[in-house]
Parts: sequence; C-alpha cells; structure tokens
Amino acid sequence: MPGRQAHGRLLLPSSSGGPKKPARNMKSSRAKATSNALDAFARASEQVTERMPKGVRTRDIEEEPERPQKRPRDRDEDDDEDDDGDEDDDGDDDEVPLKKKPRKNAGEFDGFSGAGSDSDGNEWHFGVGEGEDSDIDSEEAFGDDDHEKFDGFSFGGTSSRKKKAKAEAEEGDDDLESLGSDAIDLAQALDQYSEDDEPAASGHGSGSEDDDEGSSDESSESDGDDESDDEDDPSKLGSLQNVVASFGPKGDDEDADMQDGSTSRAKLSLKDLGLFGVKDAHIKKSLRLMNKEEKATKPGSSKKLEVPLAQRQQDRLLRSAAYQKTSETLERWIDTVKHNRRADHLIFPLAQNAQDRGLDNAELQPLDQKTSGTELEQTIMAIMEESGLGPSSKPEKKDGEIRAEGAGLSEAEVKELQRQRRREREMHSREAARAKRIKKIKSKAYRRIHRKEAFHDAAAQHEALAAAGELDSDEEREAQERRRAEERMGTKHRESKWAKLGKKAGRAVWDEDFRSGLGEMARKNDELRRRVEGQTRGSDDESDDGSDETADSGDEAGKLQLLAQLDRAEAYDDDEPRSGLMNMKFMLRGEALRKKENDDLATQIRRDLESGSEKADSDAEEADVGRRQYGMGKEATDTKAANPFSDKETRDPSKAEHGATSGRVGGMKLNAITSQVQSLPEPESPPPTAPGAAGAWSVAAADGGRKSKRKIKAKVDELELTDSAVLATRPSKPKAKQADQTNDADGLSDEDAVHLPLAIRDQEMIKRAFAGEDVAGDFEREKAELEKEEDDKEIDNTLPGWGGWVGDGISNREKQRHKGRFITKVEGVNKKNRQDFKLKGVIIAEKRVKKNDKYLASSLPFPYESHQQYERSLRLPVGPEWMTKESFQEGTKPRVIVKQGIIAPMSKPRIG
Amino acid sequence: MEATDIADAPLARVEQPNANGALAVTGARTEFQSKTELAKARRTKHALRDYGRGRRIDVKGVKDKKLRRNLTNLETKFKTAALKAKEAEILLENTGGFIEAETELERTYRVRQHDIQSEVAIEAARGKFELKLPALGPYVCEYSRNGRDLLVAGRKGHIATMDWREGKLGCELQLGETIRDARWLHNNNYFVVAQKKYVYIYDSNGVELHCLKKHVEVSHMEFLPYHFLLATLGINGQLKYQDTSTGQLVTEIATKLGTPTSLAQNPYNAVLHVGHQNGTVTLWSPNSSEPLVKLLAHRGPVRSLAIDREGRYMVSAGQDNKMAVWDIRMLKEVNNYFTRSPASSVAISDTGLTAVGWGTRTTVWKGLFSKDRATQEKVQSPYMAWGGDGQAIERVRWCPFEDLLGLGHSEGFSSIIIPGAGEANFDALEVNPYETKKQRQEGEVKALLNKLKPEMIALDPNFIGNLDLRSEKQRQADKDLDTPVAGIAEELRHRARGKSGALKKYLRKQRKKNIIDETRLKAEEMMKALQDKNSEKHEEKKAELGPALARFARKD
Repeated sequence: MPGRQAHGRLLLPSSSGGPKKPARNMKSSRAKATSNALDAFARASEQVTERMPKGVRTRDIEEEPERPQKRPRDRDEDDDEDDDGDEDDDGDDDEVPLKKKPRKNAGEFDGFSGAGSDSDGNEWHFGVGEGEDSDIDSEEAFGDDDHEKFDGFSFGGTSSRKKKAKAEAEEGDDDLESLGSDAIDLAQALDQYSEDDEPAASGHGSGSEDDDEGSSDESSESDGDDESDDEDDPSKLGSLQNVVASFGPKGDDEDADMQDGSTSRAKLSLKDLGLFGVKDAHIKKSLRLMNKEEKATKPGSSKKLEVPLAQRQQDRLLRSAAYQKTSETLERWIDTVKHNRRADHLIFPLAQNAQDRGLDNAELQPLDQKTSGTELEQTIMAIMEESGLGPSSKPEKKDGEIRAEGAGLSEAEVKELQRQRRREREMHSREAARAKRIKKIKSKAYRRIHRKEAFHDAAAQHEALAAAGELDSDEEREAQERRRAEERMGTKHRESKWAKLGKKAGRAVWDEDFRSGLGEMARKNDELRRRVEGQTRGSDDESDDGSDETADSGDEAGKLQLLAQLDRAEAYDDDEPRSGLMNMKFMLRGEALRKKENDDLATQIRRDLESGSEKADSDAEEADVGRRQYGMGKEATDTKAANPFSDKETRDPSKAEHGATSGRVGGMKLNAITSQVQSLPEPESPPPTAPGAAGAWSVAAADGGRKSKRKIKAKVDELELTDSAVLATRPSKPKAKQADQTNDADGLSDEDAVHLPLAIRDQEMIKRAFAGEDVAGDFEREKAELEKEEDDKEIDNTLPGWGGWVGDGISNREKQRHKGRFITKVEGVNKKNRQDFKLKGVIIAEKRVKKNDKYLASSLPFPYESHQQYERSLRLPVGPEWMTKESFQEGTKPRVIVKQGIIAPMSKPRIG
Repeated sequence: MEATDIADAPLARVEQPNANGALAVTGARTEFQSKTELAKARRTKHALRDYGRGRRIDVKGVKDKKLRRNLTNLETKFKTAALKAKEAEILLENTGGFIEAETELERTYRVRQHDIQSEVAIEAARGKFELKLPALGPYVCEYSRNGRDLLVAGRKGHIATMDWREGKLGCELQLGETIRDARWLHNNNYFVVAQKKYVYIYDSNGVELHCLKKHVEVSHMEFLPYHFLLATLGINGQLKYQDTSTGQLVTEIATKLGTPTSLAQNPYNAVLHVGHQNGTVTLWSPNSSEPLVKLLAHRGPVRSLAIDREGRYMVSAGQDNKMAVWDIRMLKEVNNYFTRSPASSVAISDTGLTAVGWGTRTTVWKGLFSKDRATQEKVQSPYMAWGGDGQAIERVRWCPFEDLLGLGHSEGFSSIIIPGAGEANFDALEVNPYETKKQRQEGEVKALLNKLKPEMIALDPNFIGNLDLRSEKQRQADKDLDTPVAGIAEELRHRARGKSGALKKYLRKQRKKNIIDETRLKAEEMMKALQDKNSEKHEEKKAELGPALARFARKD
C-alpha cells in the first residue's frame, strides 16, 4: 500500500518532526480566526451530529462481537438431548437484534462508497470491485503534482480511471476555489492531531491488530484529537473536534449529506474556515490529501485507519475468541464425559492408555484364503494347498451339471425345465396312484361282498341243517358264550392270585405247567388287544369314509356310488404334455402295462359288484354285533338313556332320597359299565357331555375354557349339598382308591361292582354324621356379621338432656327430634370393596396390620415418579442366593475399579 | 422338568369366534422372524416365566430422562438376570423322574416297594427301611431341614434321633410322659418336644436344655427357620410364638376357635395355617390378633394340612372324608377328593407329590396341582400306594432331597421309596444335605445374621420396602395420639439419675461421636438452659450473701 504509506509518512514526519511547531501554529491561528472558526464549527456541529463518534464506535464494536457470539449458539444446537438443560438461550435472544443493526449500517456505507454526487451536481463513481489499484493510481497522481495543475494532467489507464481522474480534477478545481483562509486553521488542526496521535498510534501499533494498523491509525486521529482539544479549550474546540471527526469513516451522516445536497467536503475549505490568505504549501497539500481521502471512501480502500478499540473491548474480544477456541476443543470431550458419567463401571487405568492398545486380542481366526494376509501366511497356505492339507482355493463345483446344462439357457428356460421335471416325477407316480385307488375300491367292495356271501352261505347252511334237524342252536350259542367268557377270564388271570403267587414264588422258572399257562394268558391277552384295536381301526375306517356306510345301509345306492367312483378312477387320466423322459419308449410301455392292470382290476370289480347285487341281502350285519357289544352296545345306549334320569335325580333331592335304592343301583351299574367304556378308546361315546357317565370331575377336566369351568364348578358346589350329588361325584375317587387299597385278584370292574355300595354307604354315613352342624351356614353368618361390623357406621353422640328436656312427659316427637343431632360417621370397608366379596367360604381380614407398617416406605423416594417404578426397582435381589454368580458379581461390582498401574489421563476423547 | 413338558402357548391368540363366526386374532405375528430369533424369543419367555420377577413397567411414559435411562437399565438387568438363571440350569445336573406306566393297563400304584427296591441303585434302595417299635404307641416323625437326620417320637414317651443314612443313633430317650409332637429346630443339634404339660428343648445328645413353661399343653408345633420362631398351638387354642435365638416370647394369640386339630406353615411366607374343629382353616401371623384369612375347607374337623413349597397350594384333609386342594393365593378351592376314611396326615414333597396317610394306608398323588396349568385337573388315580398291613398311620413326612417318604405309624417307623419325590438339585447355600460340622456351624451363624424379624411376616412377603399408600389424613387418624412422644428430652428429663447426670453423660458421649442431629441439638439446648438456670441461681446467692461473702456462694 504505497499510497497509504505515503500518506502515513506525510502525517507522521509532520508530527514527529516538530512536536512544538503545531502547537505554535495553533496558537497563532487561533488568534486570527477565532470568530470565523467558531462560526464554522458551530455550523459543522449542527450538521455533524453527536452521533458521529458513536457511529464509529458502534460499528467497530458491534461488527466484531457478532462472530464470537454466534459460535456458542452453534454448539447449543448440536448439543444432544440428554444434556440436562444447563444452557439457556437468553444470550442468543439478545443477540438477534444486535446482529441486524450493524449489517444495515454496513450496507449503507457500501452504498455510499460506490458512488456519490457533489452539491454542485458533479457526480463521481468509484469502481467498486477494483480494489486498491485505483487508490494507488489516484494517490500517485496526486502525489506527483504538488501545485494544482490538474488541467494539464492526464491519467493513463482504464476508462473508469479516466473518469475518476476527471471527476477528481473537477473537484480539485472546487478545492482551489474554496481553498482560502480556512485552510490554515484546518491544517493546524490536522497537525495537532498528528502530534497527539503519535503516542496513541504507536500505542495501538504495539497491539495485536497488525493488519488493521493503517486504519486504526487513521481512526485514532479523531480519537486522539478529542483528548488534545480537551486540553486546550474544551468549549470551543469541541465543535472543531466534531468537524474533524466527520473526516473519519462515516456511516449514517454521509448519506444524510447526500440527501441535503450539501456535503461537508464542499464546506471544508480554508475559505470556510475563514483563512483566505494561506499560502503554506504544507497545509494545502495536506488539505488536498484530506479531500482526496474523503473521496476514496471505498470499503476496501479506506484511507482512514479505524479507531483501535478500547483495551477493555479488545480484551473482551480476545476473551470471546479464546473462549470460542477452548470450547471448540472441549466440545469434543463432552460425549466422552457424559458417557463416563453414565457408565455403570469405570476401570482405571484406561483401556486406551493400555500398552496393548490396538492389538486385536480377539479369538484367532482360522487361516484360509481370505484371511491370509501376510506373505508368510499366504506361502503357508500355498504349501498346504499343494500338499492337499489346506482348503483349496478353487470353489467347489456344486450341482455342476445343472449349471453346465443351464449355461446356455436363460433363467425362464431353466425354470421351465425344472417345472417339467417336477411334472414328470408326478406323472411317474400317477399310474401308481390310480392303481391304489382302484385297489381300495376293490378291497372295500370285496370285503363287503364276500362277507355277505359268507354270511348268506352260512345262513343257508344253517337253515339247511336246522331243516334237517341236526343242529342244536342253544348249544352252539352256549359254546360261543363260553368262548367269550374264556377270553375275559384270560385277562383276569393275569392279576389273579394264581398268577401273583406264581410270580412271587418264581414258579415260572421250574413249573412247566405254569409257564405254559402264562404263555396262553399272554397269547389270549394279545389276541384280545388285537381284536380291540382291530375293531377300533375298523370303526375309524367307517367314520372316515361316509360312502361306505351308505353303501351298507342302502345297497343299491351304495353300489351305484361305488361304480361312480370306479368311473372316476378310470377317468383319472390326463392330457398334459409329456416330458422327454416320459415319451421314451420303455416308459410308455411300462405305463401302458400298469394302465392295463388297473383297467382289469376295475372291470373285475364291476363284475363283482354286478354279481354281488344279485346275491346281496339287505339284512343287518350280525357279524359285528358280538364285538360291538364289547365297546358300545345296548348298555352304552343305556347309559345315554340313564343320563337324563340321573340328571333329573340330582335336581330333585327329595325324590332321590326316597327312591335312593333304585336310583343308586342304576347309578352303580352305570358306573360299572362306564368304567369299561373308559378303558377302551371308543370314538363314538361322548363322555364329557354325559355328566353321569364319568363323574363330575371329568366334566370339569375336559372343559378347557375357564368360563365354562366356573359354571360347572358352581353347579357342583350347589349339588354337593344335596344327597344325590354324592352319586354324581363319588365314583371316580373311590374307584381309584379301591383299586390300590384292595390287593385282590379281581379286575377293576369287578372291584367296582363289589365295593361301590359300601362307598355309598360310607358317604351316606358321613353325611349323616355331619348333618347336625351347619358349618357352612355358620360361616356365612359370621361373614355377614363381620361385613356389617366393618362397614361404614354412623354413631349417634347425642346426650340425653343436652339441648332438650328428658324425663317423663316428653313427647315421642320431641325425643325423636333430639335423636340424631350429633352423628359421627366412621368410615369402614364397604361390603363390595371387601377382598372376599366374591369368594365363597372365605373371610379376609380388612384390618391393617400395624406392625408391618414399620417396613413400608413413608414417601416416594426422589427420582421415581410412581410407586410402581419404585417398587420395581426393589425387586431385583442383591444376594448371591437368588441369582447366578455372574449376575451377583455384576450387581455388586464397584462403580470405579482401579487396577494396579499408572493411571494416565485420557489421551483423546473416546467417542466421536 | 415338568415345566418343559408343557407346550408353549402360541404367541398369537385366537379368541372365541364372534357372532358372525369370524375369529379375532390378537397379537398376530406379521413380520418375518428367523428361526434363531424365534428361538431367542422363546428362550426369553421361558426364562422370564421361570425366573422373572414380576411384570415390567412401562418405561416410555417416564418423563425424567435420567430416570428413564435408569429404569431401562434396570429392566435390562432383570432380563439378563433371568436369562442367566435359565442358562445356569445346565448346572443342575440331576434330573428328577417318575415311574411311568408303559401301557394303559399298567398302573403305577400297583408297583410294590420290593419291585422298586430291586430296580434302583443300592444306595437308593437303602432308603427303604423299617423301624419296628410296636410298644410305645403311634410315632410321629420329622426330618431335619437338610434331610439328614430323623426324629421319631412315640406317643408313650419314646424319642429317638438318628442319622438314617448311616443308621447311626443320635440319642434315645424315654421321657415317661405323653408326647404330642416333636420338631427339629434350625439344625440337627436341637429338637423340641411337646410333652404332657410343657414344651422342652433338647440337644442332640438328649440333654434337656429348656423347659418352656409358657407353652402349656401343646398339641402342635411348627418351627419357622428364617425367623427362628417356634410356634406352638395349645389344646386350649392358644397360638404362641417364641424366638428360639433370643428366648423371648414374641406373641400369644388366642385363636378362639376351640381345640385346634392341625397346624402347618407356609414355607413361602411363614404364615401359619391352623385347622379347626368346625372345618375352618385360619391363617395367622404373629403381628395380628385376628386371623389374616379364614376359610371353610371342610364340613368336619380339619385333620391335616400341607402347603407346597412355593406357597401356592394347600392340601387339607378333613374328618368328612374329603381332601381339598386350595389355591391359597387366590383363596379358591381348586379340587375336592374323597378319601376312603378320614386322612390322618398329609404332606407335600418338593416336586409336588402329595402323600396322604389314611387308616392303615398311604397313598401318594401326583399332579394334584400344577402351577403351569391354568385349570387344575382332577386326578383319577394315585401315583403310589403303600400299607394295608395293620399299622395305623400317624404322620407322613417327605425326606428333603431324597425320594423317600417317612411314615410314622403305630408299629414304628417306615421309610419307603417314592421315585421322583425329592428335589434332585439342592442348593448348598440354602441347605446342604452333605454339610460338614464346620459348614453347619457357619450356616448357623449366617442364618442368625440373616434372621428375619417377626414383623416381616405377612401374606405377601414382598411387601417390605413398598410404599405406604395411605393418605396423610388416614395416617394421622391411624396414629395413636395417646402414645407418648418418644424424645430424648423427655427421656433425659425423666431419667432421674443424679443431678442432671444423664444429660451430661449423654452429651459427653455425643460430643465424642461428632454427629449433630435433632436430638443432640435439643439436648444441648436443655444443657444450656440448665447452665443458665444454675448461673442465675448462683448470682442470686451471691447477691444474697453480699459483696464480702459472695465468693462463698456455692455453685451447684
């Protein structure tokens, strides 16, 4: 900045060269032009308001602090939500209006600096973006010619420069004209500034703001002259100061000047100051320079140095900057600190300072192609691979065929291929499936037909024999029954005394006879079981296939149905496209063969059916009867018939008592039967729905639903009081108990038959024994009493004779009037609020157990918001008895664990 | 074991069909979950079911951030603790099991003792033994808490203790007096016997240590091991609690229901269940003079009571040939069974087997109750059976940690094998069946240190530390206004021990402690007032004596 420097030098030497001289000048000039000057100052002070210095200051102050104060706000924003609200936004709120102001000022300033116009109508324009070149040029220009030869001077350079020069030349003329008597005075004043300025400037120069030195120097002019004027004549020079201060960087005032059309520059001539005859070159020169400076009020190229801020402000700025820096560095630690504060356990020395930090002490990975990182490892891998020990690098070919096949095909084609294959697989088994179907039909038809045939044959034979008189039918029946009895006997033998004794004595070892007997028993048992199972399977089959039953009952219709089925099975063919494999000859041949077989079968069945229809009879199948009886015969239906009876009986206790014997006998029988029913898996009998069949318990047990259970329970409860309920609930337990208590050789059913009456008698006796005490009634009464006692109560505290007369001759009405005057209410527990309100046969004490209060918390501890939270926090036990060792140790681990070693501070933030 | 057998409830629930037949599915799983995720969820569910500690609280509603974080951490701790406990199940190396029937025709109750004895291991088979003591009347039997020692007491005054495993007799006494009941105290070193008139405490050598003369004509006794309380129930219906560690009589309560017929303790909450003549069962704690709960279990006298170790179910047997199963948390009768003759004794094993002694027989029932089932099934047939040889059963007791059932009867004592009865895995921190002498001693000290106060007994033992939910008004109302305000000032004022010596002494001691609290401030205030008073008096005296003789005024 040569221009500036030149200017600075100009000022400085003048000040430093003769420190006394300006003062003398001052004195002399003051004598001459006091009146004028005062006049001028007064006027200037009118124009240039008091705001002037303030304008400077505010700009300086406010522009700067804007930056540092913005930072904390940024920090605020990115602070996480867990931060417990320790920072408030008050500072920021204050900040907002402040920020706006300086900006506006700056804008105005800029607007002014760009262009301007004189009071004379001369307009000038400065290249805004040109920077300092223009300054330099203009200054050089003015520095070169000292003696106001502007006309002949020509500026070389850009057009804008020319224009500028021209404008300046015009101004120069203006100055020439105006330069008169005032010039000396101003120059004096300037000298004075520079003289005072020096120490101040040097003082500021020693400050930190080296960059802004020039500007600060310049602005210090005005500051400095404040002080000097105060020394001389505060009252008069005060106005001068203001004028001079107007030379400093201005904000608002200058545009006000623009609007007025009368600039301060125009007035600031020597003439204005009343100094017409000044010939001092120095003064003129400096004046010219001043003018020039004024014009060159571009933002970047301000000639005047800004006023250095007061020490306090500077310090404040410094502090804020320093704070900003430190907070930036500290911010990085916030997360870490928070994390540590919240951590359950802290372990010192810190892991990050540990010596083996960065080493991966995790599990060693198995070495393979991917993980082998180092050269050594790779070499080893290669050797291993060569020797066939290690994993091979080549990827194993999986289903290579498909890939090879499908290599040339697109994805859709591959899919199609797969689908076709699947279909083939299906097709292959299709004929087999058909064969199965036909076989099933055949077997069914066959079985039935043949059974019927055989039956018919036997019947015919039997008839023939009967006709011949050769057969004793009773005898035969007896024989049959005997056979059945024997079968049953077989099972009985198993638990018989004979068997037990034999077992105990170990007779099987030496007694051939016994052994054979055992074998026979086992065989019988096995056979019996098979028969039982066979039957159930058969019944399953029946229930499985509904058509079968219809075929049984209605022969013609069933047959038709069978035929239809056959048709369907035969028609079970498809015309789907065949795959390549299926189209091959041998496959076709095989299929044809299978088809033929199936067709043959079907035709044969057809034939059979047709032939069977001629023979078939519509009689019921008697072959089943004998076996059926075992599981569910007439007696089973009897139970069903008996159920309503027993049910009715339970409903009507009086009747039950009267007709006890008959009812009980029936019930007993019934139980004997149903126990058999239970022992056999009988699909058709519905035990849960029959209350009399299996006792009340089974009902309750079978019902899964809670609701229904309750209902039934209630019912049972109700019944229990009646006599016949015994009948309903009894059988299950005594039967079971008896089974173990009696070590007799008898089977289950026999036991029941023998002992049940006894059980009934027992129950009856017990019933009678406890009939005298109405325990349940007593209990209910007690409960009702207690409920009443503990309910809300009203106590009449009225004293007789208090507020009224007592004794004879008092009317009832009077007595009544005094009755309820003083009533105290004692709050108790309402009946409906009692804990045992819905519980039958239970009384729960509502009284508070005072001794337990000792262990209750009187108030909710601090951080908790509800007692649930608090009580929940107590539920985790601490002792080793209630938890695993690991949990226990975790629970009792101290918060800070210090291990042996050097505890170094954290070297860097752990997180972020 | 049994819990694992039960199928998991599906995560999604299908409710009852609506009127239009549509099924509403709640909690249907819509998002895909991998197999491992499902397995993990299931494991967590099981862990929380078995080891969880109550329902978790809603953390989302908590406003305070810090509290929310802490509560979330707490929930995580609960969960991990439960999961860890579940994982630690693999350390339970022994598994229990029961006899199972192969076919439908087979019955487990038909299995005889000698069959079992021939099949089990030698060591286990040794558990089956008989003590033939026909002379001295029906015997009651008790096992010590770790199942090591056996105490048998005949009605006619015969007492014997023994280590049944080794067949070593501890002591044998002939008291020559009717014995109504006998119990072990906290370990096998002491036992207590309810004799004709008083209750006596003996040590393991049979030396009489104490005669509890305040317990008169006691018919039933129970010992609460965690509270060190001996509870006795007299023929006159007086229930008394005696602290066996301090010797103090804690409470005396009149049951007011006549001669009691049975007594049992709930191991979960130390509440005593007393059966009465009129078929009611009352629940008692030492803290209230009235029963906590009264329930009608039978139509006749309640002969015997037993409570399962988790305190969920109670089995009672009555004179009315009934055996009732009660859910004693809901206070509802679960099931009702008939006995052939009135049962004399009931006992529940660790695995939930119920032994019922009736007449000359004993039946063992399995699955009378199960905490895993929503509705309890009525069992059809017993699990095991024994007896019928003419010995009237007096008492049945399960041997802890063993598959053994001890039967005290008129002919002596029998120990029978009931497979699956005992807890397979013992917790040595709790009770150790194989403890040494040293361990026993240490355990005794530890138990005394961990002794619970009688005031901690309540129906819900988890009440400790809970919030008192009474309103302030109610609390004020409940407060007995007649009780004197217990303050140090009053105490000191009334402790006329010398001239204000008590106060001085108190303050001297307090100053050493350097704790400043309200009472101390009060005491100091009092001290200062006293000093002022004294000095005033002194001044008065001085003034009285005049300036010359003032120095002779005596200071108090």
